[in-house]
Amino acid sequence: MKLLSLPERLGLVSYRNQAKSEIKPHIIVDTDICNSGCPHKCTTWVCPANCYTMDDEGLVHFQVEDCIECGTCMYACDQGAVDWNYPDPEIGRGVTWNFG
Amino acid sequence: MEDKFDCIVIGGGVAGLAAAMTLAKNNMKFLLIERGEFAGSKNVSGGVLWGSDLHKLVPNYWEDENGGWERFINHRRLTFMDEQSTFSLDFKSSHFEEKPYSGVVVLRSKFDNWLSSKVQEAIDASDYAMDSFIATDIKVDEVIMENDKAVGIRTGEDEFHADSVIIAEGVNNLLTRQVGLQDKYVPADHMLTGVKEIIRFDQKVLEDRFQLDGLSGMSNEFVGWATNGIEGGGFLYTNRDTISLGLVLGLKDLREKKQKPYDVLNHFKKHPTIANAIKGGEVVEYSAHVVSSGDSRVMPKELYKDGILLVGEAANLLMNAGKAIQGMDYAMRSGILAAETIVKAKEKGDYSSATLKEYRRVMDESYIMKDIKGFQDAVHLLHTDTMQNKVPNLVCDFGRQFFTIKNEPTPKSEKMLLGAIKRHSSLWELAKLGFKARKSL
Repeated sequence: MKLLSLPERLGLVSYRNQAKSEIKPHIIVDTDICNSGCPHKCTTWVCPANCYTMDDEGLVHFQVEDCIECGTCMYACDQGAVDWNYPDPEIGRGVTWNFG
Repeated sequence: MEDKFDCIVIGGGVAGLAAAMTLAKNNMKFLLIERGEFAGSKNVSGGVLWGSDLHKLVPNYWEDENGGWERFINHRRLTFMDEQSTFSLDFKSSHFEEKPYSGVVVLRSKFDNWLSSKVQEAIDASDYAMDSFIATDIKVDEVIMENDKAVGIRTGEDEFHADSVIIAEGVNNLLTRQVGLQDKYVPADHMLTGVKEIIRFDQKVLEDRFQLDGLSGMSNEFVGWATNGIEGGGFLYTNRDTISLGLVLGLKDLREKKQKPYDVLNHFKKHPTIANAIKGGEVVEYSAHVVSSGDSRVMPKELYKDGILLVGEAANLLMNAGKAIQGMDYAMRSGILAAETIVKAKEKGDYSSATLKEYRRVMDESYIMKDIKGFQDAVHLLHTDTMQNKVPNLVCDFGRQFFTIKNEPTPKSEKMLLGAIKRHSSLWELAKLGFKARKSL
């Protein structure tokens, strides 16, 4: 069986409010905190949707669009950089699982 | 919906729905609020619902073959894995066919939605058919506190009032933190993340491959090579025409060993035993969720305060002590016990801690808290390097020797075992492990 890449896997996820051009992000990350002294940059390793990435210079970047609301980053970040909330049903993103 | 409710239940997962069902059956006026499009739409589990409490909520649920469940477990397997091999404890028994079943596999988007429809039926049959509601697509922003007692909830501009609030929001327990029952920050050290694929087959192929009969099913847990050195384990459960295949991985270990959960999942899928099991299947969903470990050090300090009860994963009620990953059964039982406490509070006309502390007492007397307390050492033991890596390697090494027949004199099994022990561990280490295991398991 062919192994799937992460983008292929995320392509199977049903996101909400996908047609909306503007969404209200449900997670706000202060990457200045990540990039000024976080010793582990944990989120870049543990996020199952790779919303947190580290570039060649070791800087952390965040995008909310692929988020599947798992909550891993809420527990992973011990630096106070992640302001985590549930997406707003009307204007947020987030998921509707087909199987769950 | 302007009047005050007896209770507001926050969250339409297993815990919240079990609470709601119990409230409906006891003629309570309540509001269940779910932030997803429907109950279950935001929920992810492995997942087997162990135990038989579902029968209490929905009597003879098995008679509805199109009910929310996938398969009942009559075949259990615990597998040690190294790079080449798998060595399993395998138990299949017809006693598992006795009803009520002692475990059913579920897919939450379907199961919770079905259970929610059963709650609606119970509401319709209650005295508050027109006054109790299941409301979806609503996110609760805040539990409203007055004089440190919960009096309702706020969502956006709207407020709903109630004598009590059952928080069943799950492991991402923002409201639990808001009301001060959990610390604002819970460290990642004892938390894990679960990643899972749903893999679809032709149903006949699935049934033949896993020797399923009718709606029987198998649960298989894995320890060792599956997680590529990361603390945690793997699982494979059979659904109707899909399997749930996944891993649960420690956050701290992923961070320290610089691995990503989806890469480790592909590593697991490459193992020859897994590759054979999933051959020809098609991945139809990838999902993930953070999950508690059962380590009581991260659990909320208390399960109640004035007007508030905590149930399910909101209270980090989940444990794997080696026999099974239990979470949904804890959610269901705690939901039932919390709702029963609210019923008593209404009778007394007192929703303060003086009454709600009864929930703590019945929880402490229940199998949930007895097991969580009684098996803490087992939880710690399971997460040691010895159990995670050395034992699976040792067991598979022994298996390779024991089951390989060569055209040469065969050493005695004891010699094979000693050799395997020396290569992966030591007699002293195993003696210590055995001593601890005997006490903790």
